[in-house]
Amino acid sequence: MIERFLPVASTYAGDIDFVFDLIFWTVGFWFLLAQGVFFWLLVRFRKRDGVRAQYVTGELKSEKRFITIPHALVLVCDVFIVFFAIRVWYDVKQHLPEAQQTVRVVAQQWAWSFVQPGPDGRLDTADDIKTVDELHVQVGTTYHFQLVSRDVVHSFSVPVFRLKQDVIPGRVITGWFEPTRTGTFDIQCAEICGIGHGYMPGRIVIETAEQHAAWMASHSNREIAAASGPAAGGR
Amino acid sequence: MISRWKRAARGVAFVLSAVALAAPATADEGSRGRELYGFCRQCHMDNGAGNPLYLAPNIAGLPEWYVARQLDKFHSGIRGTNFDDVAGMRMRPVGIWLEKESDRKAVAAYVASLPIVEPAPTLVGGDPERGKALYAPCSACHGPDAKGMEALGAPALDHQDDWYLLTQLEHFKSGIRGSKPQDVQGAQMRPMAMLLADEQAMKDVIAYIMTLGGAPKTAKE
Ligand code: HEC
Ligand code: HEC
Ligand SMILES: [Cu+2]
Repeated sequence: MIERFLPVASTYAGDIDFVFDLIFWTVGFWFLLAQGVFFWLLVRFRKRDGVRAQYVTGELKSEKRFITIPHALVLVCDVFIVFFAIRVWYDVKQHLPEAQQTVRVVAQQWAWSFVQPGPDGRLDTADDIKTVDELHVQVGTTYHFQLVSRDVVHSFSVPVFRLKQDVIPGRVITGWFEPTRTGTFDIQCAEICGIGHGYMPGRIVIETAEQHAAWMASHSNREIAAASGPAAGGR
Repeated sequence: MISRWKRAARGVAFVLSAVALAAPATADEGSRGRELYGFCRQCHMDNGAGNPLYLAPNIAGLPEWYVARQLDKFHSGIRGTNFDDVAGMRMRPVGIWLEKESDRKAVAAYVASLPIVEPAPTLVGGDPERGKALYAPCSACHGPDAKGMEALGAPALDHQDDWYLLTQLEHFKSGIRGSKPQDVQGAQMRPMAMLLADEQAMKDVIAYIMTLGGAPKTAKE
């Protein structure tokens, strides 16, 4: 349902949408039914001449049924939802598929920055590619992300991935995603982090293998040129 | 029935006129700038003196053209988008927030109109004597008394916080500030920062600049 408004761009986005729909329809059904009963009662027992209103204490067994039966139904629905939700939760947050690439996502007041391995494929080496605002990834590749914060709590939110994960200062939080379609999409901060919280505009650029290789090449060249070119001097 | 329609029409007319009254009629520049400054206050404080805790510098009385240009740079991402620019990224949302150029101008005019606040020195170990010699090349653009020169795009430095001057010199030198291709003025300042061999030289020249403050500077130089 929601995917009509927001593209689906990760392997697990559909699963999250499924749970979302499940909750929506389950809760929606009972909501409408309860409202229906409520209005029916209003009309059915409306004011009539010669009929006195009754004071109902709700202590009789026949009256308590109006609480206990819906209560049991709610519990059944809960179990039903949890049954499906746990599997998705496990897939998205608890299990970690083998990584083909690892990126570091750095949150700070107020920007997202990213560190990607350069040609050597490893982080924390001289050829790392550092970007601000833009994360470039390759479609169909399993990524691990390492979330770190330079100051306060933020939350890494990629709506098209249906991914949201808090970033806690002092901790490295690892998670994963696999992009399934190309395009440029939003990255947002989903945890109030100060006055500039609404202005942490990140973008994720999902590219084909060729596009991504070209980006890597151009970017690492530029970095190296900037570090050693005459204009840059002492670095 | 008729009277009900009339009443409804009168209600709509009332709401419309209330909306028209509430909308600012040709707000004058000064009050717009003051209104916008309400946001800046959070970090640069009421008087514009800044706050090192937020890494926010003293902007009180900085020249209007310079403030407007820096706001443009933060707005377009020429400044405050380097990976290592922790302070610049704090100021950057403000630039994004100031969407309209007219607003950036208005708040710049207000900042320029704030009375100068003399900064308290925070750095130790700078030698103004050695700094005086190191300042010689700087005076070509920033002026012999560091009051800045609009024609060369170089801002006043004489009332700036010493800790901020130091980080900016380091940022220019390492390319954290001024290395974006569109940053014309930054490109002029970068090689100058490279003239300062190390942190000691920076502290020396800053110690000298700090001796130049004191004389009141007009808002628009
Ligand atoms: C969230 C805190 C914060 C707010 C709010 C804020 N600033 Fe800043 N501002 C900073 C920081 C931090 C810096 C230092 C950036 C750097 O070191 O490069 C800065 C730098 C500046 C500079 C550059 C000064 C120079 O000498 O180059 C100007 C001009 C400025 N701010 C004006 C404003 C104005 C005008 C507003 C309100 C519209 C504002 N700031 C709101 C934090 C803030
Ligand atoms: C070629 C002209 C030129 C020379 C010479 C020069 N500067 Fe600059 N300086 C600039 C310009 C232009 C800017 C503004 C950059 C911008 O708009 O971002 C600037 C900015 C600065 C700033 C940042 C001020 C602020 O409020 O953020 C400092 C600090 C500074 N210069 C110090 C020095 C020192 C120290 C020297 C001498 C070693 C020097 N400059 C020499 C042109 C120059
Ligand atoms: Cu945040």
